[in-house]
Amino acid sequence: MKKSSIIGLVVIAVAIAVIVSIYAGASSYGSFGEAKKSGSVLQVVGVLDKQKELYYDAAKNANYFSFYVKDKKGEECKVVYGNTEPQDFEKSEQIVLTGQMIGNEFHASAILMKCPSKYTKNKLDDQTFESKSSSL
Amino acid sequence: MDKAFQGEHLIPGHIGQALVILSFGAALLSAISYYFATTDKSAPGNSWLWMGRIGFFINSICILGVGVSLFYILYNHYFEYHYAWSYTSRDLPVYYLVSGFWNGQEGGFLLWTFWQAVLGNILIWKSKSWEKPVMTVVAFSQVFLASMILGVEIFGAKIGSSPFLLLRHAIEAPIFSRPDYLSFIKDGQGMNPLLQNYWMVIHPPTLFLGLASVVVPFSYAIAGLWQRRYKEWVAPAIPYALFSAMILGTGVIMGSLWAYESLNFGGFWAWDPVENASIFPWLTMVAGLHVLIVFKNTGHSYFTATFLVLISFIMVLYSSFLARSGILGETSVHSFVDLGMFWHLVSYIIVFLVISAWFLISRWKELPVNKKDEETYSREFWMFVGSIFLALSCFHLLLVTSIPVWNSMFGTKVAPPIDLVGHYNIIQASFAMVIMLLTGFTQFLKYKNTDVSRFFISTIVYLVVALLITVPAVYFSGLYKLHFVFLLVMLGSVYSLLVNGKILADALKGKIKLAGSAVAHIGFGLMLVGALIAAGTRNTVSVNDSGNIPIPGFSQSPAEAKVAGDAHDNIMIYKNEPVKMGIYTVTYIGDSTSEPNHYYKVDYKRFDAKGKIAEEFELKPHVQISALMGMTSSPDTKHYLTHDLYTHITAIPQPKAAPTADSQTAADHGDQNDDKNYDPPITHEVAIGDTIRFREGFMIVRGLKKEKALQNIPLTDSDVAIGAQIQVYSNNKTYTAEPVYMIRGKSVFDFARAVDEIGLKLRITKIIPEKSKVEITVYQQPENKKPYIVMRALDFPYINFLWSGTAIMIIGFLLSIFRRNKELKVV
Repeated sequence: MKKSSIIGLVVIAVAIAVIVSIYAGASSYGSFGEAKKSGSVLQVVGVLDKQKELYYDAAKNANYFSFYVKDKKGEECKVVYGNTEPQDFEKSEQIVLTGQMIGNEFHASAILMKCPSKYTKNKLDDQTFESKSSSL
Repeated sequence: MDKAFQGEHLIPGHIGQALVILSFGAALLSAISYYFATTDKSAPGNSWLWMGRIGFFINSICILGVGVSLFYILYNHYFEYHYAWSYTSRDLPVYYLVSGFWNGQEGGFLLWTFWQAVLGNILIWKSKSWEKPVMTVVAFSQVFLASMILGVEIFGAKIGSSPFLLLRHAIEAPIFSRPDYLSFIKDGQGMNPLLQNYWMVIHPPTLFLGLASVVVPFSYAIAGLWQRRYKEWVAPAIPYALFSAMILGTGVIMGSLWAYESLNFGGFWAWDPVENASIFPWLTMVAGLHVLIVFKNTGHSYFTATFLVLISFIMVLYSSFLARSGILGETSVHSFVDLGMFWHLVSYIIVFLVISAWFLISRWKELPVNKKDEETYSREFWMFVGSIFLALSCFHLLLVTSIPVWNSMFGTKVAPPIDLVGHYNIIQASFAMVIMLLTGFTQFLKYKNTDVSRFFISTIVYLVVALLITVPAVYFSGLYKLHFVFLLVMLGSVYSLLVNGKILADALKGKIKLAGSAVAHIGFGLMLVGALIAAGTRNTVSVNDSGNIPIPGFSQSPAEAKVAGDAHDNIMIYKNEPVKMGIYTVTYIGDSTSEPNHYYKVDYKRFDAKGKIAEEFELKPHVQISALMGMTSSPDTKHYLTHDLYTHITAIPQPKAAPTADSQTAADHGDQNDDKNYDPPITHEVAIGDTIRFREGFMIVRGLKKEKALQNIPLTDSDVAIGAQIQVYSNNKTYTAEPVYMIRGKSVFDFARAVDEIGLKLRITKIIPEKSKVEITVYQQPENKKPYIVMRALDFPYINFLWSGTAIMIIGFLLSIFRRNKELKVV
């Protein structure tokens, strides 16, 4: 067999291994309901409930932040994050949480937020707009 | 309907917009002319060639003009332009106005097309017989970039996004129906505070130069296929490929240095999709570079070399698509939002992909093939294998990073792996290990063929030495706690460092030609060692369990703490209360403000065994608070030769709200309401010299004095004002306070004095002349009303290997560029 065909085989083998490892590692976006059922770590996409309290008291515990999130199915759950409040948290339009259910709380290990106003400001924010019209 | 609006400056915008359109037209003219200059050999003279050149010159001048117009708008704060309003504000210093220039996507394209124009001019000057076909491709790419900033509507579809868009056209709002709307737009939105950093001034131009430069080897590869000059294009393309790999690598590392110095995710690499996308072209370009050299020396692997060079440019286009199309949505923190250019960006990729594929397929049968099998013990063969692994590592990154792309293509809803960073680390480390071993033992092989037994002896001897170095290194750095793959990477890197060190030593003795690659490999090895140790053994200094009051239902067993992320990383520190943190005693000693930054002074002390201060320094992490962005935190880092201590603020007390109705009344009521901020007061009857104790220290009444004057209040002879001089000792610091008691006629007043640093307020509430005593009332703020910070401190060991490795790698690339250029002149 020629060496180039051996290399070809090795490349194909590694490529397959890579795809399999991604496939095995890939998770799915779930809901709080599924998290409760399975008890395993998964990712939940949801929206921050801005009506409810965001709790962070550095004096009691600098590594405890809790809030309420409504997932895409409309189910709401208390989320606990063992860290400080992420920057611009209240302005997030969408949150992706990674974590698992412990009791009735969702313990998040990672939070990813989408704040569209941050990098492009194509819309005049409601806020800025109000302040402008009030100065009229 | 054109209405007259007051105060608008439309001239620079009109000029800029006209130049944008002209630059597009000129690029098109240049591309077409160069095309005919290449194909139409019958045309008399060099008319096509000259038209191509003139078109390209006009395009370059227009781009400069566009840049000047845009800068003029930014510099003069013409907020009627959307770009100026979105990214700058009046208080922005001039050097950030420069970076405001490339803050938006349009500016990014402008920068890219600028560099491409510069490179095009160099090619016109230097490329001689290659000019016509190579410039056809460059000018064609220039057409696409110019179209990205056109911002013109054709048949109802908007082509590109112009930086000269007016605010009133960009945004719909009733205010724009007023002719004097501009008088209400006093200031721009300002720049994202994260970007107000000197790295923002130099990182984007470097990165864009790197991205733009990939077009040069790409054009040579296409030209080689097109003109059937299959072997000739390789030699002139190698120096450009080296340049491209060097600048692109520098740009990427600058980005990670920026992240490390001024962003707050606590590291230098986060495997964010946008970061990953920036190294796709680097990986394929470095791989392509090696295979080009293989082909040059042996005549093997022509297809692979061409393919890797072609795909590098496609990767540049793809990474710009990922960052700008908005497709990354849920997976990236810093991708742009779609400007309606999704299909425009896709078409750029597809057109160049089709061109590449068409040339490869149509010339397939003519591609040079070396019928002889590769020699197993030749350097080229293993260089080729290494390049394949570089390409595979890119393949893996590409597959995972593109998960959102697959989702939108196939309508699936796959989420990236849960432990994404771990996933990338392990798999990329596996590739890195193989590549590092290859960069090592390949050096013992000769071009063409080698004495086998000598090769095995030197390979194994060096491997044993590498093992002897790696084992203690791994043990003492604490790396052994990590996954074994990382240990193998460490072994591979040390091995590669040793071997390339030997090659370098030989090179200095005579074989100076080989120095470039040896130096670059040493640099790369050091980078990996630095990244591995710094990221792998990064430890949290700010661990402090004593301050944590457990909250019911939030148990923190180690396993759960791991699930719950970086639990325990943050530490809360009250002002002027030293806290023990790792080997340091840390005190938050004060703040200072230099708009827009708010600095927190954190004093670090390290005591030796005898309790003496062995070391003391101050770090000033800062935050910026803006209405738009909330709190943005930037770290401050103490750099040592062997490690870095990195500190950043993760939370501060809620900033004082703007005066509301409530606080207004509070101010009217004055002191009485202020008392609410304190715990219930305690009164003490004291004479001169007496001591009063409080929670965090004690105070001594040094004296009572009849005041002659009282600020703001004129005193008459009949008034009696008595001040108590009190010295307060708290946490090794001394403060003085002088509360005053005043009798005027039949009324009694007292003036409290606060010591804000320690949350204390003192009043004289009674004078008891018969006992020659006074009654002092002590108000103390409850713990949570006192000023505090929450911070995180991390230690990055040996991170300097990463930065110095980068510098060494750049030197290696430079040496290679000189060498390959020299070869070019000789041939």
